[in-house]
Amino acid sequence: MNKNTKSLITWKEISESRLFFPLVALSLILLFDFIFIPGFFNIENRDGNLHGSLIDIFRNGSTVMLLAIGMTLVIATGGVDLSVGAVMAIAASVAGILMNPSALKNEVFFVTDPNYTFQPLWVVIISALLVAILCGFWNGVLVAYMRIQPMVATLILMISGRGIAQLITNGLRVQITYKPYSFIGQGWFILPFSLYLVAFILSLTWLLTRKTAIGMFIESVGTNFRSSFFSGIDEKRIKLLVYTFCGFCAGIAGLVASSNIKTSDANNIGLTTELDAILAVVIGGTSMSGGRFSLIASMIGALVMQAITQTMYAVGVPAFALQAIKSIVVILVIILYSEQVKSFVRRLGSASRKGVNP
Amino acid sequence: MKRISAFFARYQQFIPLASTALLALVAYGIGAYFFIGMRNPQVFFNLFRNTSYLLISGVGMTFVILTGGIDLSVSGVVALTTVASAVLLRDGTNPWLVIALMLLMGMTIGAVMGSFIVKLKVQPFIATLAGMWFARGMCFFISDDAVQISDRTFQILGKTKLLIPGLMELAVGQGNPAPYVSIPVAVAFLLLLVAIYIAHYTRFGRTVYAIGGNEGRNEQSARLMGLPVDRTKFLVYTFNGFCSALAGLSFALFVESGHGLYAPGFELDVIASVVMGGTMLTGGTGYVFGTFFGVLVLAVTQVLIQFIGSLSSWWTKIVIGALTLTFIGVQTVLANRKGRRPAAELVAGPAAKRRILRQRLAWGAGALLLVALIAGVSIARVRSAASAAAVDTAPCAVQFREAELESLIQGGAVMAYQRVAGPQCVDEIYAVYPDGKITGTDGVNQVEKQATPASVDELLTAISEEHGWFTNEVYDSYLTPCKQCFAHYILISHNGQEKGVTGTDGTTAMPPGYAFALAEIRPLLPEIKPAP
Repeated sequence: MNKNTKSLITWKEISESRLFFPLVALSLILLFDFIFIPGFFNIENRDGNLHGSLIDIFRNGSTVMLLAIGMTLVIATGGVDLSVGAVMAIAASVAGILMNPSALKNEVFFVTDPNYTFQPLWVVIISALLVAILCGFWNGVLVAYMRIQPMVATLILMISGRGIAQLITNGLRVQITYKPYSFIGQGWFILPFSLYLVAFILSLTWLLTRKTAIGMFIESVGTNFRSSFFSGIDEKRIKLLVYTFCGFCAGIAGLVASSNIKTSDANNIGLTTELDAILAVVIGGTSMSGGRFSLIASMIGALVMQAITQTMYAVGVPAFALQAIKSIVVILVIILYSEQVKSFVRRLGSASRKGVNP
Repeated sequence: MKRISAFFARYQQFIPLASTALLALVAYGIGAYFFIGMRNPQVFFNLFRNTSYLLISGVGMTFVILTGGIDLSVSGVVALTTVASAVLLRDGTNPWLVIALMLLMGMTIGAVMGSFIVKLKVQPFIATLAGMWFARGMCFFISDDAVQISDRTFQILGKTKLLIPGLMELAVGQGNPAPYVSIPVAVAFLLLLVAIYIAHYTRFGRTVYAIGGNEGRNEQSARLMGLPVDRTKFLVYTFNGFCSALAGLSFALFVESGHGLYAPGFELDVIASVVMGGTMLTGGTGYVFGTFFGVLVLAVTQVLIQFIGSLSSWWTKIVIGALTLTFIGVQTVLANRKGRRPAAELVAGPAAKRRILRQRLAWGAGALLLVALIAGVSIARVRSAASAAAVDTAPCAVQFREAELESLIQGGAVMAYQRVAGPQCVDEIYAVYPDGKITGTDGVNQVEKQATPASVDELLTAISEEHGWFTNEVYDSYLTPCKQCFAHYILISHNGQEKGVTGTDGTTAMPPGYAFALAEIRPLLPEIKPAP
């Protein structure tokens, strides 16, 4: 295939493309599924809605995809946000307590009426998202205005965020029985509803970053914040914006996650997903030290992570042991992205031009 | 004034460390003022017993952070060590061999991560994250369930009491058991001393300090100076792997079992205590000894929240987060001033100098005010919590009525049980008869309940055989109970043997057999005052 396309697009262009490695990884995994797992590519039509393993990859991956959108921008400015998992838990707790406030009275009181809610749905969603945005804003202030290292600044919320979430729900798991809310994570409209949510946020972000100057500002802050400051970019405000947006994405992810399991579980919602999201961005080829970013590549990175998970479940690897597999994938990615391998790929295509090799 | 400011300027690098130490001691002091139970020396030494693994891990992490890196893999390695050692011991491997293997395993994991960071130039964050996932995942390949450690050598290592010389007589004089620490605590302190030596008196230690700080630029200068940067970084991660494995072993001794879900979020506690100990997360500045105080602050916070009782456990997380934020804020301010000051003072004339001094005074006064405010609020909070928990802060008077219980046994009961103190200062006596009759009284009300004779027999067999009631494993462990806790006296007569043992809730001193027996007895007993 490479030989055929060589005349149109050169091997160098393909291999240098941001999407090259993530796509190779994704297709390798799907190829594995195609060969070893019968029926992996089957898609059923149930009452006009599509179901199947492939759809599940998208559906279960939607939280990580949402997080990866925000995380890509944060990492592009040279930062990182470790607190997204905790922010997810906080948003879910706020939503849960507004729909079923029995936990506040220290009662383990199960509302079973699917039509009961303490506050109307729009209040629930907006207040949960507002709290999440506030969390992101807090991170942004610490990073941009107090000049605390991003990893450390967000670590603070990562540690105390779960405590805050437990404080909100009084340490109890809040059952969510309200039917319309569960549509966010479990609804189906030919494709899963959460997928439309991802597509909406993704296209919004893409428009904002690629059709306005914000994207360029972000990249310039990530490449060299000093020189972007001198060229008149308000580097602090960009950082604040990016962290706040990341909080917003985490809030939506929290809503999706809690509606998926119909519980707001302050302890477990979003546990270690910050790591999945960061990894998705890294697989997408955005450098951890900031600079150029690609939202689409991050999405493919998130899909790679989810495809691995789905494949391992299909093969029968226990849930906890999955982490070991993931770590091996990380190591492979690291090796794949190292300078040594990159120069090897470059040499593979351009045997005639020896000078490319650094 | 000048002298004070000169003093502070001179010892500026000690400010975070000293404030952490002060915070830990003051917090403990406040606790001891309000809660009688905290004045027990054993509670103080339990701070070390409960956090020995945190200290061990913190020592390794300090080195990593000093080089400007980070290691997220510690919790995974700790869990893996507990599981692997538990499974190996279950299969009958020599315990000393197990310990050696575990340490080797930790070092190998650390070395692999170190070589990724050094050779492939991977961010420490990503490489150690992969390490954590690998270790956690491996736990479940080894064993899905928790595995008990019943090896004799491990039991001895975990349960040996090292008495504190000098304090023994004092405590006995006050009527308390002699305070003690465990072997892991001694190991942790030994490691701390060795680490202090390595950090401050060896070439390796100086290289570690030279690498960290200044956003990677110091690393470059260290490289240009010809320091072995790569080798040092590699060794630091290997050393931290060793520390993680050691921490895992001491954790396994503490909980006497192994499971892959142990120590969740442990790396965050470790990083928080290193930061609170005054080590800059950018690297290059900090003290290994500071980590000790950081760990102490964490331990005191936990104990205080336990003693206050009305605060739930998640407050620990929030408090630790707030403390970390405060310390990082102080560090950032100090670091920014350090960079700015010489230039400002060189340029400044006398008027400007006076202005700078005035500014600094204002900042100092403001900070002092803030601290006083926070202290005032927290003292008020603790006081109200202390008074809300019980109207009188004095502990309940505890008197075990051995003679009365003995007479119940003489009257045909197989078990007599007295429960004293608790939030309402109760004094209840229960008697269990072989025909299944169970009576209870608190001096005012009488209750009676009928159980099956078989269940009573089962209970007695379980307590005497499974939990070793009539052996040396179950012994008196009475301490003055805290406000939320009960004191127990259980007298059992079974198969011609008779033994009465006292114990108190909420302490780690209670022998496991006693706790198990208590847990089996409690459900059988009737409720004297049904909850309204």
